[in-house]
This record gives sequence, C-alpha cells and structure tokens, in this order.
Amino acid sequence: MDRLDLPQGTLDLLILKALSLQPQHGWAISERLRQVSRAMVDVPQGSLYPALHRLERRGWISANWGPSDNNRHAKFYELTRAGRKQLGAEVDAWQKLTTAVSLVLEMR
Amino acid sequence: MLGRLWSELRYRVRAIVRRGAVERDLDAELAFHLQREADKYVRAGVPRGEAERRARIALGGVERIKDDDRDVRGIGLLEIVTQDLRYAVRSLRLTPGFTLAVIMTLGLGIGATAGIFSVIDRIMFRPPALMHDPATVSRAFMSYELRGERAVDGYFEYRRYLDVQQWTHSFSQMAVYADAKMAVGVGQDAGEMLVGRASANLFSFFDVRPALGRFYSASEDTPPAGALVAVLSYPYWQSRYGGRSDVLGSTIAIGQGAYTIIGVAPEGFAGMDVGETPVAWVPVNAYAGLRNHTYADNYNWGWLATIVRRKPGVSLAAATADISTAYRRSWQAERDMDPTVAPLAVAQPAMALAPTPLGRSPDAGAEGRIPFWVGAVALVTLIVAGANVAGLLLARAFRRRREIALRLALGVGRGRLVGQLLTEGLLLAGAGGLTGLGVGWAVAAGFTRLYGDAAPLGGGLVDARTVIFCAVIALVVGLATGVAPALFGARSDLAAALKAGAREGTYQRSRARTVLVVVQGALSTALLIAAGLFLRSFGNVRAIPLGYDVDHTLVADINLRGMKLSTDEQKTLLRRLTDEAAAMPGVAGATQRVSIPFADFEGTGFTVPGIDSVRRLGPFGLQLVSPGYFRTVGTRILAGRAIDSTDRLGGPLSIVVSAEMAHRLWPGQNALGKCIKMGTDSMPCSTVVGVAENTITRAISHQAEANYYLAAEQVSRPTYGLYVRVLGRAADDVERVRRHLQTLMPGVSYITVEPFSDLVRGAEQSWQIGATMFTALGVLALALAAIGIYSVIAYNVTQRTHEIGVRIALGARVLNLTGLVLRDGLRLGVIGMGIGIALALIASRWLSPLLFDESPRDPVVVLVVAGVLVGVTCLASAIPAARAARVDANEALRAD
Repeated sequence: MDRLDLPQGTLDLLILKALSLQPQHGWAISERLRQVSRAMVDVPQGSLYPALHRLERRGWISANWGPSDNNRHAKFYELTRAGRKQLGAEVDAWQKLTTAVSLVLEMR
Repeated sequence: MLGRLWSELRYRVRAIVRRGAVERDLDAELAFHLQREADKYVRAGVPRGEAERRARIALGGVERIKDDDRDVRGIGLLEIVTQDLRYAVRSLRLTPGFTLAVIMTLGLGIGATAGIFSVIDRIMFRPPALMHDPATVSRAFMSYELRGERAVDGYFEYRRYLDVQQWTHSFSQMAVYADAKMAVGVGQDAGEMLVGRASANLFSFFDVRPALGRFYSASEDTPPAGALVAVLSYPYWQSRYGGRSDVLGSTIAIGQGAYTIIGVAPEGFAGMDVGETPVAWVPVNAYAGLRNHTYADNYNWGWLATIVRRKPGVSLAAATADISTAYRRSWQAERDMDPTVAPLAVAQPAMALAPTPLGRSPDAGAEGRIPFWVGAVALVTLIVAGANVAGLLLARAFRRRREIALRLALGVGRGRLVGQLLTEGLLLAGAGGLTGLGVGWAVAAGFTRLYGDAAPLGGGLVDARTVIFCAVIALVVGLATGVAPALFGARSDLAAALKAGAREGTYQRSRARTVLVVVQGALSTALLIAAGLFLRSFGNVRAIPLGYDVDHTLVADINLRGMKLSTDEQKTLLRRLTDEAAAMPGVAGATQRVSIPFADFEGTGFTVPGIDSVRRLGPFGLQLVSPGYFRTVGTRILAGRAIDSTDRLGGPLSIVVSAEMAHRLWPGQNALGKCIKMGTDSMPCSTVVGVAENTITRAISHQAEANYYLAAEQVSRPTYGLYVRVLGRAADDVERVRRHLQTLMPGVSYITVEPFSDLVRGAEQSWQIGATMFTALGVLALALAAIGIYSVIAYNVTQRTHEIGVRIALGARVLNLTGLVLRDGLRLGVIGMGIGIALALIASRWLSPLLFDESPRDPVVVLVVAGVLVGVTCLASAIPAARAARVDANEALRAD
C-alpha cells in the first residue's frame, strides 16, 4: 500500500490531536501517529521537530523535560489551553473541508 | 491573540538570548529520538549498528532539521540586530586602539556640547520647575526713554505692581518675587543664604501642594507689613531640620525678622530660581515692612520681578498692550506725586512680556549672549570630532574592503552589510555618548564655576534632559559617521577589491578623508584664532589701570540684622573694627568704606560758579570716602591732599576731584581751591582740596571718568564696612581677617569679607569666559585635528609601503622619505589653516563687538595660530614619517 503524503498544514493538526490525549515526547508522537493511521500516514520525522517547535512558539503546546517510560530524559510536549482551542477550531475546519470536498466529489 | 504574541516573543527572545541552550536542547531531543527509533529496530532483531543507521535514515539529516528549526525560531529582526551587535563588538575588540580613539574623540566632542547644552538649557529654555502651563506665563519688563536711550527695567516697585494689577484685565494671575542672599539663622550657623521673598500668589503659578503645613495666604501678605511667616524649601527642611514635622510653629531668623515656620514646600520646588533652591520663602510685605512702612505708597523702591499669567484666549500682543496702558497710567500717577519724573511724552513708558527663562529676558545682556556663542563653538568642536570619527571609520572601512568584498561575494546582502557598519557606528557613538556624559558633567561644572553668581546653577547638572540630548547627539553622530563608511563599503567594486592585494597596485588617497581632515584643520584654526582674540582682549582689559589696587584690598561689610545700634554705637563699632584691622599683622591699612566702584553709582547734581550747564559735561560719579581711603585702596593724589580727618562735619566742605573732572570743568587751570556747590547755587562752596588720578568705576573702557570724592562724615553718611589693604594677595587673607573681625561683632550681627577684585571681576567676566571657552574648545579641536591628520598620514604611509620600498631600493635617502611624508601632512594642514583663517576673517564682523581693544583681524594672533598649526601638523606627521624611514625595502617588496 502506498503511503499518503500529508497535505500541507495537516501535520500540525495531527500533532495537536495526538497530544490532546496525553503529553508525549517527539518520538512517541511519530510512533502513535503511524500506529493509529495503520501506517498509512508516514510522519516525516525530519519535519516533526520543526513543526513541534513552531507549535510551541505559537503557544499551542508547551514543552518540559521529564523522565520517559524507560527512565531516560525526554522532552515532553503538552497541549496548552490555547492549543486545545486551536485543535477544536482546526478539527472543525477540517471536517467542514472534507464534507465539502466529498460533496463536490459526489456531484453528478 | 495577545497571548500568542506574548508566547512568540518569549520564545524568540529565549531563542536569541539563550541560543546555546536552545541548540543543546534540540541536540538532546534528536539524540533521544534516534535512540528510541534504534531501540525499536533492535527489538525487532536488527543488530545495534544497523538499527542506528536505519534510525538516522528515517530521521533524515540532523543538520537539515536543525536548520529548519532555526528557521522556525526565526531569524527575526531582533536576531539580526543582536548578530550585528555581536559582530560589531567582536571586530571593535580586535582593534582596541582604534576603538578607544573613536570613543574618546566622540566623548570629548559630545561631552563638550552636552555640558554647554545643560547650561544653555537652564538659562535659555527651561521654565521654572513645576510651573503650571509655563507657555501662558511671562515676566513683565518696563521700558522707558532715559537720556536718549531706551532703558529696560525688570524691577517693579510694590506700588507699581498694585497699579498694574488693578488696571489690567488680561491676566488671571500676577505675582512678584525677589530672591536674594540674606542672613539666615543665628549664632555660629548663621550665614548668607538664598531666600525667596515672594507674594502669596506666587505659589498658585505652580502645580504644588505643601509637603507639610501650608503656604502663606494673601491675607498674610498685605501692606504695610505682612505676617512674619516662612515656608521652608524641601532641601533645607531635610538638611537643617532632618525632615522633622515638629518644625512647624518654630521660628527661623531671616534677615532682621524672626519668622514662624508654617509650611514646607514640596520636593523639586525652587520658586522662580533655575539653579540654587532658596532655603525659604517669606511674604514680600513681611520683608518690606521690616525695612520701611511707605514702600506701598510711593515709587521709590524698585526691587520686585513680576510674573503674569494671561487669561485663556488673550494673545501676547493684546496682553502687552493692556499692561502697557496700565503702566502709562501708573507712570502718570507717579508723576503726579513727583514732578521731577519725566512726562509721558518724553519717557514713552511701555511694557514688554518675555518668557520666564533667565536668558530670554530683554535685559539678559552678556549672560544671555555668551552661552550662545559658547554653544556655537561647542557645536563646531562636535563637528570636528564627528569628522574625525568619520575619517577613522572610513579608513577602517577602506582597510576592510577586501573582507567586505569577500562577504559580498559570499552572498551577504548589501543591506545587511550597511546595517552592520551602521551598528558599528552606533555602538561607538553609544560608548562615546556615555563618555560624553562624564565629560559634559565636568564641562558644566567648570562653566558654572566660571559663571559664578551671574547664573547660579547648582544641583545636578547632568539630568534627564542632558542625557536625552547626549543620546540624540550620539545617535546623529553615530548615523552620520556610520553611514559614510557604510556607503563607501557597499559601493566598493567587488572584483577590483578582491583582485588587488592589501597593497594597491596604485596608491590612492581617500578624497573623502582628505576633505574631512581639511575641515577639521579649518575649524580648529578658526576656533584658535577666536581664542587668541579673546585672550588678548582679556589681557587688554586687565591692563587697563583701574586707578585703585583691587589685588591687595579686601572689602568687609557689617550686617547688624536689625540690631538697634545708636549712631554713636555704630560709629564706635566701625572705628574699633578699623583700628583692629589696621593693627593685624600683614595688613597695611584700613579705612571705613561707603561707596564701592562698580557697585555704587551716585551722582547728585552740583553747580559750579562760572559754568552754565555742568550736566552737559557729565556724567560725574560720586564716591563717598573716609579718611585714609586713597592710601588704602591705592588711588594716587596728583595734587593737593586727600580727604583726611580734618574734614569734619560742620567744618569747611572739601572735595577731591579726578584729573578728568578737573580737566572737564577747568581745562588748563589749576583745580585746587576751586568751588563746587553741591545741590543748588545757594549751597555753600565745597573747596577742591585735591586732584586724584583717574579711576574706572562704571564700565571698563579707555574713556576717563569724571569722578569726585566727598568725605562721608561731612554729608552725614553712615559707613557700612571697611576697606582693608593687605601685604599679600587679598584672596589669601579673606578668612583670617574675617575670623578676627567677627570677634568684635556684637550679638547676632556678623561681618562678611571678600576680595575687592571679586567685586570688579564681574565687569571682566565676559572676556574671561570667552577666552577660557574658546581656548579650551580650540585646543580640544586642535588635538582632534592632530589625531585626524596623524591617522590620515599614517594610513597613507601604510598604503605606500610598497612604493616607499621601491624608492628605497632605488636609492632614496631617509631625508627624502620623511620629507615626502611631512609634505603630505603639511599640505593638508596648510590648506585647512588657510580656510580656517578665511573663516575667522568672515566671522570677525560678529566677533568684534565682543572684543576689547582688539582688532578681529589681529595679525599677531593669526600668525601665532598659524605657527601652532604648522607645528602640530609636523608633530602629527612626524611619527608616520619616522615609520616611513624605517621601511625595510626587502620586506615591503616581498609582502603580498
């Protein structure tokens, strides 16, 4: 099965969603996204970190160093209140977009 | 939205300020990721080494991620600026000598200007502290025709103030004040301090509330005698009373009165004073009432400065017309009382409303003009300094053009490059500005000391306004000096610069730098010529014989502070003081004093039998003297005798005239024995018993004054103090004499002693200030110009090392080489000097009224300055010349 290229801008949405469940470190986010998408979405690991830092800069996620599950030092990201709001807005927009796109595609 | 902006800002600032930490963070994060990814593969059975390789592939290039990440962090404006700053600091640290030279040059230039600004600002521009809406407040000045000239008079009689207040309608407020040194305190800590005598409504001109207690009210300030109440100033309350609140209700001795303290003015309030803060304010009427009880009924005592506030909507012109009308009415009222007052048609009285700062008043005189001159000179010095710095930066840019070209070739934007050079300029200017603040403080302090009492400027001389001024000047200079090399750098021809070695194929002078050096030379020449002219003027002033010896004479004044001594008691006191003073070791003589030259000018009318109109021959100045006067102050008697102890009250009247007066009244005749009638023709004769040498008592000039001397005792004038002649320098004996005489003073009274010369120096002050300031700034400018010439010549020598090497190889001798370099320097110096002399000649028109007995084109001064300039130019070029002579031909030719 071919892997999907992520449309522009969706990586942010996926990261926010992944973080909405619990704080994660970078690697865990990429693993989680791959598992959940049944490996259909290949998160480009190289873009993950710049994306994380961009979200951090915007104040949607915050970062803290803490012990990981295997007791090593890892940088954990967590959704902020602003991030939660942003996630809601982006999910909303995404659903409207997909609905609209499907409607158009089902056009006869 | 705001939260997000804040977050962005915090993130970026952290990214910039803690760049190292952020980068380490990222490294650690990526390392952790790689490890976990590798672990995953290992768990799936891949060998460790292979697993790590796969993990790295999956992540992609670490460096690229870091790069992307940096983009995320943003090379914002802030980071560019900090980068440029880092770069500038680093490159400036590489050349500490250059950096120091630039900072010092700027510091001196900015400092001199800022220091003088702070003085000018106080005198010319700054309204009194805390004044409410100063734009609507003016000081009123009276003017009238007097002996064919328009006299300006800023001191109102109390009655005049009442008249004007009553007969005008354009003003919402009007107040009078007169600040003066008065005796404050009693016993040991009594001293002369500044006291504000102010009408009660003066306080309402300001946005102030008392720090403690209350201000006095109008009902406490009414003629014929106000209430004896005082409002302390904040600093005096702090320093003298330790800020205690129980000070209210206690009394303070001021002058002849014991005033009850009823309040303390707030911090920062100094009344109408720009410099020193008075220790206290007392009602005008309280002070005046202690002196006499008729001050509010007549126009005899003009002593009050008047300020007015225009009603909203009243123009300055309308207000001036209104107050002038009132003044005319008041003038007429005065004439009705005293028919000797000139009629309106002759006097043409009018009022002028001037801004409150001291230097902007119509009678500001020299005090107002000098700061402007000095300010202009300081500005010229600043330009010289700026030109110097621009020259240094240009040289630096030129030396760095390879580096710059390389960076351009590597793709650094020209804008960015200009930005970097600008940053460097601004950084230097900033450091120079800070240095300048220090220098400025010193300059202002020196200037204030020089100015003396003419403009009391105590307190913090470097304040917010001066700091802002320094910052603005530094910014302008930084931009100006930074832009020039920046433009030069950005324009430089890439290919040519890269191709050429550090040595040019052909040696080229930098025209811009040459021009800058010539400008410096020209301006410093002009300044030095002005300095020379003022120095000569000052010398000429000093050389004028005053006709009395101020350098060895002290003037002592007694202040009885209202102690009621009978005439006899006072006479006895003064006689004892005189005897005691005369008996002191190191004292040559003492006499009771009445008049003081330059301070007192009287000219009671007199008639001379046989001369129709004595007035036409005038003016005649009267000095009242005691026996021993002429010997004590050193005025020689040319013929006859001096006023002596035989000239008693009731005895035959004696008069001593100056040689000039004798000449005017009886040309070609012997004046001795002639008759002068004091007052009208019916008075008895005063016989001329002596002719004294001419003296200067009014204005320093060559014009001989007609003066005459009467025995104080014969006109029943009390004496107030002494002249004491000492053997050494008068200034050295002030304290010794004062301490000794003070022991004779009864009760709360005290005696002040000052050198006679201090009383006369005021008249010489403008030349002294001119000489000092022009000399100081001229020398500063010359030093800067010398640095400029040195750096240009030194730079040229470096540039020509190759050429010089060739010359040496071809057999040039040391003398030829040094001559070559010296000629280079001299050419610059002489061109600058020529332009400077031309400038000075052009400026001579404005300079000449400020000089004394000195042509503004004095060839001696021009020649001396030219000599100095040539000498300094030679010195400045000598070091590079010596270096040129030491050039090793081998090395020079092989280099590069």
